[in-house]
Amino acid sequence: MLNALRRHASLVVIFLIAIIAGLATLQLRGAEAFLAALWHAWDLFLFIVPSLVAGLLLASALRQLLSPDALARLMGAESGIFGLFIATLVGTLSPGGPMAAFPLVLVLAGAGADKGALVAFILAWSLNGFQKLLVYEAPLLGLDFALLRTLITFPMPMIAGWLARRIPIAWEPPK
Amino acid sequence: MSGPQIILWVIALAVWALCIRRGMPQARRAVTETNRGFWRILPMFCVALPMAAFLSELVPADIATAWLGDDSGISGIMIASLAGGIMPGGPFVTFPLVITFSKAGAGVAQMTALLTAWSVYALHRILTWEYPVLGWRFVAMRLASSFFLPVLAGLIMQALLPFFAINLAAP
Repeated sequence: MLNALRRHASLVVIFLIAIIAGLATLQLRGAEAFLAALWHAWDLFLFIVPSLVAGLLLASALRQLLSPDALARLMGAESGIFGLFIATLVGTLSPGGPMAAFPLVLVLAGAGADKGALVAFILAWSLNGFQKLLVYEAPLLGLDFALLRTLITFPMPMIAGWLARRIPIAWEPPK
Repeated sequence: MSGPQIILWVIALAVWALCIRRGMPQARRAVTETNRGFWRILPMFCVALPMAAFLSELVPADIATAWLGDDSGISGIMIASLAGGIMPGGPFVTFPLVITFSKAGAGVAQMTALLTAWSVYALHRILTWEYPVLGWRFVAMRLASSFFLPVLAGLIMQALLPFFAINLAAP
């Protein structure tokens, strides 16, 4: 039940917002604006789909090639900045939504990655994930912005991971 | 197809070719997973894109200028960070919304802060994934070491903006 809710909650919420916004557009801006918005959405859809399929293919192909176990051994508590850098790189290359990323966090934790590396991994995945960058950000907001923003935020997971190793909150990976 | 899309396809096919070299089962599994992922995301697209399009019809053109415009400075960056942190939904919602905000007058540095906060705080993701899977101690530790990043990203972007011509409303 919780799982089904988790998987579909945002779909339902967005669907409801879409219906309300659509009715409001129809009411306040007229049928022409309503159709123009739908047409614009369709245009955007056709624009995103090719990169979406390519991004998904790249992601699943990478998954076949990389082994999380081998990578986690480079991310232990004694791995220093290098371990944080590897964690950031792996996070950036990790595809998919939270459904794919959080199970991977558990695998990495079980294979020896420490809390700093896991913090860096999660932030790199959510902040600089290549899939989001290539499928959404660059096509929708422009390549210039996407590259500049990524350049600014790329080192941030390492900073956070470095801090996380020094913050006195004890944490053990769930068994 | 645009330039970046062609590059993406070339990279994707190159990595997939590496899979083929590793063995046909791997290559086939990659295609199956691609297919499954596509159909999982498709419903989202079908509701998120019209939602963003309707919202951008509804939002008046200059409503965001005062709060989130280029001149709103650090207070705009902080407001954007808060808004980004509580914004639910995946990238198919957020990026169309950023275009909508930009059309309504939001600044580039402020939208940088919003996107960073959406990634770093991600309240909905904490509640549905991070807390159940990793526990509250992990959430506390991660937030303590990263809460300042959205504002920092916004400030760096603001300092760099004079050197770049970026227009989010019409990329």
